[in-house]
Amino acid sequence: MTLREKIDSNQFVVCGEIGPPQSCDGDVIRAKSKYFKGFVDAVNITDNQTAIARLSSIASARILLDEGVEPIMQMTCRDRNRLAIQSDLLGAAALGIRNVLCLTGDHQKFGDNPEAKGVFDLDSVQLIATVSSMNRGFLLSGHEMKKAPAFLIGAAANPFAVPFEMRLIRLHKKIEAGAHFIQTQPVFDLELFARWMERVVEMGLHDKTAILAGVLPTKSVKALLWMKEEVPGVKINEKYIERMKLARDPEEEGVKMAVEIIQALKTIKGIRGIHLMPALWESITPTIVREAGLSTKN
Amino acid sequence: MAPGVGQDEEPHLLKDLVTCDRPPISATERRFSRLLLFFEDIVKVPLFRCQHCGECILSSTAYVCSQNCPKKMRNGPCGGTGDDGSCEVYPDRKCVWYKIYYRSRLLNRMSLLYKINRIHNHNLDHTSSWLNVFKKRIDAPILFVRNDKQKVKDLESR
Repeated sequence: MTLREKIDSNQFVVCGEIGPPQSCDGDVIRAKSKYFKGFVDAVNITDNQTAIARLSSIASARILLDEGVEPIMQMTCRDRNRLAIQSDLLGAAALGIRNVLCLTGDHQKFGDNPEAKGVFDLDSVQLIATVSSMNRGFLLSGHEMKKAPAFLIGAAANPFAVPFEMRLIRLHKKIEAGAHFIQTQPVFDLELFARWMERVVEMGLHDKTAILAGVLPTKSVKALLWMKEEVPGVKINEKYIERMKLARDPEEEGVKMAVEIIQALKTIKGIRGIHLMPALWESITPTIVREAGLSTKN
Repeated sequence: MAPGVGQDEEPHLLKDLVTCDRPPISATERRFSRLLLFFEDIVKVPLFRCQHCGECILSSTAYVCSQNCPKKMRNGPCGGTGDDGSCEVYPDRKCVWYKIYYRSRLLNRMSLLYKINRIHNHNLDHTSSWLNVFKKRIDAPILFVRNDKQKVKDLESR
């Protein structure tokens, strides 16, 4: 069953995430794909995440397809103007890629090429609208295509950044522009997330799109602290940091924490799936999927 | 007019996204535009730190210029706003959209934040927005918003 079919038929979705290597070694992606195949419905392929030049998301997505894993290709506005975005999307569609996650992209200042020119010709809302328009058969110039792509459109949401209410307006805009599913930033503060979801349900947005809650398994207190300090827009409840500090086996504690968060998320109204992002710890995915009871068998 | 542009079936068709069906800007007009921009700058640079995009959306962003954002966001903040409302790229500055949100609330212009702003037409960079409004290249500013709270409710339940 494809991701689109699962979302259309209102089934619980599990997504993974792979970051391509900083080299031309496609085998890295092939090796990582084994941790996801049969365990998740689809896998995100990041597009030069944190503004570091890597193997392209289009090529990586195609490698995943060859391995029998459904990719969600991320597409950012940082590195491409509208010409490049449209041509890359058409190329991806021709290669058989069906899912695209539309992002604005991290600012180039945070990467390894801080002196680069940030393009930002479109922003994420406009990118979603562009893909919608392409799905309807029209390029931005108004040219009608002989064959239109049929992308399933994803978008991101950050429930934890201020101003709280503005985040909902932005989610509203993304859905209006045509987002079929939403992946959130990793949840480390269930209370705040539940409050956000309450408002989402109140606005009726959970019916118009599939909201997949982000979960990030970690294996050390260092990683948690780094995220708290360095990654903008990530909120981490102190209790998780304390637990990680006291844990005898941090890896085991990390799994336990992720499973606990997933189980709590499953009970929140309006959640249609989980987006697992085991950054640099892909090998843990099968364990977490099994222990959290996230069966993707149809 | 290109096909697809101007056909009206669903909201957010191409005509709401791009301005490729609008009249182009001629060389003579550019000269006149430069003169007008001189006067526009006297008002807009000190008051709003205008970035001369030529496609002014100040009226829908509660008179805070969105183009001061390092990512040039025209449709709301990126995910990196700090807890104190600081910009992730320049932490000594406030996030432009943080300011827009609170100013919109203050001025009862919240319903305007729901509008999807068009993809910027770079042909209009460093031209006079006033002339572009007059020539119907860009939308006219929205000066008054009535019943803002009701409008927000309608938008949310749409």
